[in-house]
Parts: sequence; structure tokens; C-alpha cells
Amino acid sequence: MRITPVYIICSPRPLVGRTLIARQLSEFLLLKNGTVVAFDINLKEPSLLEYLPNITETAEVDDTFGKMALMDRIIINDTVAKVLDLGFHAFDEFFKMADEIGFMKEAARRGVAPVILFVADTDRVSVRGYDMLRELIPKTALITIDNEHVVRGELPAAMAEGRVLRIAALPAFLKTYVDRLNFSFTGYLRGEKDSSTELHQWIRRNYLSFRELELSLILQRS
Amino acid sequence: MAKPVVIVVGADKGGVGKTTVSRTLLDYFSANNVPTRAFDTESPRGTLKRFHPEATEIVDMTATADQMKIFDTLNAASPSVTVIDVRAGLLSPSLAALRDIGFLDAAKSGQITFAVFHILGPSIASLDEIAETANFMVGAKYFLVKNFINNTSFFEWDQATYNSYFHRIKDATEITIPKLNEMAFEQVEVASVPFLKFVANKGTHDEAANYSFVLRGYVRHWLANVWSEFDRIKLTDLVGSGKGGARGGEK
Repeated sequence: MRITPVYIICSPRPLVGRTLIARQLSEFLLLKNGTVVAFDINLKEPSLLEYLPNITETAEVDDTFGKMALMDRIIINDTVAKVLDLGFHAFDEFFKMADEIGFMKEAARRGVAPVILFVADTDRVSVRGYDMLRELIPKTALITIDNEHVVRGELPAAMAEGRVLRIAALPAFLKTYVDRLNFSFTGYLRGEKDSSTELHQWIRRNYLSFRELELSLILQRS
Repeated sequence: MAKPVVIVVGADKGGVGKTTVSRTLLDYFSANNVPTRAFDTESPRGTLKRFHPEATEIVDMTATADQMKIFDTLNAASPSVTVIDVRAGLLSPSLAALRDIGFLDAAKSGQITFAVFHILGPSIASLDEIAETANFMVGAKYFLVKNFINNTSFFEWDQATYNSYFHRIKDATEITIPKLNEMAFEQVEVASVPFLKFVANKGTHDEAANYSFVLRGYVRHWLANVWSEFDRIKLTDLVGSGKGGARGGEK
């Protein structure tokens, strides 16, 4: 059965690197599949829309119209992978709504595979947010992103129990470089001849993690 | 043979959600495989009939011919449950009429199961209604329904005042109907289908429809909450159909 992955990158905290991960994942899926649709639910922070305007749509979950416009799109099994960059301000409302309307159940029924990528932090709000997700999301669909740049040490115990995807910290000068609006991860891989550079390896490592994530999704469904 | 069951849904005030509650009852019985017929007293054009045209007949409760149509057929009719959606302002007169024709005595003596769903509004007038209705409630199951579907805020005055009215009726049971997302409610209105069909994404004639997944989700969630209230009051036991297991609508 064909499946449509829906990656929801989220955190109840701002500035944890969520958009960076959404950018990379979107570019990876675009490179691999030739198509991806990204949704930016994140209008109060540096925005995915500014980085990837050709594949990104804005969405909101503040009112029912916005919820319909978003959820009625991502529940469709059209085999086009979706990436949601879910802003911290929309975290509670999105998952409350998803629970109320039975999103996970309906998605399973239709062959849509939501994957929640929770960008970890060590503060209380993040721990509480993760606990809430553990109540609502099946274990196999909930993945913790351990962004070394943010966590800088051990993950909170509960988050370390489940599946973890690690993103290594970049040196500050490279971080500034990739944060430029016109920077493209895939473009860099294609353009940079020297594959031994730190940035080259960092991007490849992350793409490999995304690849493994996708494979595990296929294995779960088979 | 099972006793006939009559459920009256009413209020003396308009716009408190009588028809909405009647619709949830018809959906509930349908999902529990309880044969049900309904009478809509909003003569000549009934709202309930619009949503449940096959099960509903429009009647004028004040006309003797229509009273006969409802009550003289209780034993003869095959559906075991009769739901009557009483028009605004007609609850007390209807109960008086039922008393006059000996229906309330029949309920008192156990020949008929009689239940009243009294939909409360937010005003003190609703409390007066309770007192007025209480006089007819001997032998009946009396349910006081707080309907939050239209975002009503109830009884902001002294709770003791409410309790003093509420306790006048022995064994009255409170039911709470939660709020439904406005847009979801509106879409069901536009679709003119039972809540169950809306959830199942079906049109009037069971054809596939294209309702929003989000709105269907909201309706499903809300309907499950309403039905859990009906389960709490053991409504299926009341109609002699205390079946366990999954309902049709929960599949």
C-alpha cells in the first residue's frame, strides 16, 4: 500500500532549531522524491516560507478555517510527503485539535503516516510538552530530535527512552552561513567539490538520518 | 412484548436546542439498533423532519387527531421508542394534555415508560419552568438538560437558587450537552443530514459526500461526548435494550 509521510516538526519552545530541521528535511525529500509540500505554521519566528518559498505554504491553527485548510490537505494520501514546521505558539492548539478530530486514527486508516519530530530542550515546558505527546501519539510515530546546539548534554530521561535522532552542533561561523536565506543544503552538496568539509559531512550525516527515518517508516508499514 | 417508550424533548423557551438534542437521541438509538419514530411538533414545517425525514412525522400537538396519531398507536407501532420534539412554549400545555388523556396515569402505573428531556435555557425563567413541569413528573423519568451547544453560560446567579428548584423534583437527573464547534454545527445544518451521516461522510441518500475531515472530527468527538452522557443515564436500559459492545456509529 502506498503511504504518504507527514513530518510534524515541533516544540513548545522557540529558537530550538525547528525551522533549520524543517528546511533540511524538506530539501532532502525534494532531492529524493522530486516533490514535497511544506507548511509554515510559524509566523512569529524565522520562517520556513522565507527559506523555501517555492514549496512552502503558510498555515494557521488559530481558527477553524485555518485548521480545515491545513488538516484537510495533510490527511490526503497522495504520496507527496508533507513537512509541517509547527511554531511553538501553535503547539498546544495543534495537538489538542489533532486529538479531538482523531487525526492519528484517521491517518492510519487512509495510509497517511504522521511522524512527530519533537525538538528537545531540557526546560520544564519541553518536558511537559513531550509528556503530552506521549499520551497522544503512538510510540513508533514520536521521535525526539536531540539538537546538540540546544541540549548540550543529556536529554531528559523520558525523551531518551524513545527513538532519538541526533543533530550535531555546527561551529558558529557555519551556523551563520547556513542561516542565510539563500543557502541551500542540497545546493551546497552539489556545488562543493570537497566532500571532507565539516559542513558537507554534517549535511550528509543528517540526510542519512532522514533516509533511515524514511526506511523505518516503510518497514513499519510493510 | 416490550413496553412502549415515549420521550418528550421540550422547553418553554425557544432557541435552547430542543431539536439538536432530539437529533442526538435519534442518532443514539439508531446506532444502538433501537427502532425509533419521531414526531416533530413544529407544524407545518419541522426542523427535525429535515434531518430525519424517514423517521419523523410532523404533527400538531394541540389537535386531537394528531394526539390520537401519536398515542393511540403506541402499542401498535413497531418502533419501540417514540421521540416527540415539542415546539417552544408547548411543553407545559403538552404535559397538561397528556395528563388529561390519562397518559401520565398510564406511565405512573408502569404501562408505558415516559421520559422528559427538559432543555434548560440560561435565564431564571428556566428555573420557573422546572417548578411548573415538576407537577407533571410523577411516574416519569425527568432529565434536566444543560445545553452548551450554543455557548450558553448557565446559572451565573447563586447556585443555591438553582438547587432549590432542582431538588423539588425527586430523581431528576442532570445531563450536559457540550459545545460543538460553530462551523461544524453550521456545516451539518447546511448538509441537512443526521450527525451520524455527517461523521460517516454521507449525504442525504447515503451517497459519498465531501465534508471537511476537521469538521467531521469535531462532530464525532462531540457526539461521543453526548452519547457518553446518554450511556451514563443508561438510556438503553430505559428503553429495554441494554446492549453492550460497539455501536454502529463507533465502528
